[in-house]
Amino acid sequence: MGYIVIAIIVVILFSLGSALIGMVKGGKEGSEKMFKSLRIRIGLSVFLFALLMFSGFMGWIEPNTTMLPTQ
Amino acid sequence: MSNQDYYVPHGTYWPIIGSIGVSTLFIGFANQMHGVEWGGSVMGLGMAIIVFMLFGWLGTVVNESVNGMYNRQVDKSFRWGMSWFIFSEVMFFAAFFGALFYARILSVPWLGGADNNMFSGATEALETSKYIWEGFQATWPLINTPGAVAQSGVEFSSGFKLVDTWGLPALNTGLLLTSGVTLTYAHHALRKGHRNALVFWMIATIALGVAFLGFQIAEYGHAYHDGLKLTSGIYGSTFYLLTGFHGFHVTIGVIMLTVILYRIQKGHFDSDNHFAFEGVAWYWHFVDVVWLGLFIFVYWL
Repeated sequence: MGYIVIAIIVVILFSLGSALIGMVKGGKEGSEKMFKSLRIRIGLSVFLFALLMFSGFMGWIEPNTTMLPTQ
Repeated sequence: MSNQDYYVPHGTYWPIIGSIGVSTLFIGFANQMHGVEWGGSVMGLGMAIIVFMLFGWLGTVVNESVNGMYNRQVDKSFRWGMSWFIFSEVMFFAAFFGALFYARILSVPWLGGADNNMFSGATEALETSKYIWEGFQATWPLINTPGAVAQSGVEFSSGFKLVDTWGLPALNTGLLLTSGVTLTYAHHALRKGHRNALVFWMIATIALGVAFLGFQIAEYGHAYHDGLKLTSGIYGSTFYLLTGFHGFHVTIGVIMLTVILYRIQKGHFDSDNHFAFEGVAWYWHFVDVVWLGLFIFVYWL
């Protein structure tokens, strides 16, 4: 489960970076790229949040408030 | 003016006002730390001068922009300026996330006797805790931090109660992510030239940001009441540094969004030219992603 979460975070960071490139580029094309990338990033973030909440609800993952030995 | 390659700015007094503001702030701060009576008020004065400078200077830039004094070359330099600012912000949060990961993955397990490190040696893996803090339990969150060393051995502080992940943190994540969605709708409306929708979604975004800050203050109140403080060992300090600086960034974001809303009301921006909106929108999305990272690494994983 942890790996899925991290994989989604990586894609979110990637789309945020892609939006930045669009912003620096500017003009019609850059502006378009920026908007589309940001739309992907918010969509994925909402999905990830829903996934976390659902997994927690189903008991697949435990919140950090349960103490676990680190080793 | 708009045809030349390099835009040469006119002379201005704002930089010197900024310098006076920063100097006043630090003189006040230094004296405050020495317990001088007027320290605090001089700090406040310095801050006021800096805010005055920011509004004055940026206001001048906005007016020049609206009056069409800038060419494409200036537009490009604004975009690059924003990207360097963002780079510094990414590095800033990378340092604090790095501290969190280092503590969780390396230093706390080492203190508990894990790994072949300089304290333990490969064969006697549990020596570390024996020599440094006997009885140290490597857990995360690290509830029991070694406290004052008594004659007879080591005392462990009894720690604090943890913030419930399902409560305010989950609600706040929902609020901030929703603000990301409303901002995306605002962005869409701006690109399509739908003025009223743009204003509506901007107000929604700002309101959600303010609500987030309110709940964050409430959460700090709960956490502090339950004994979680900056001094509560590595968990407390990483928790407050990360969430505190994040909250500070949300505050800046709300201020910037409000300025953008004001500019929209004044009729600035059109569907093709709205770099200020783009800069602030990216910043808000960035702060949103930082929170998502915090929510996952501080509260879940």
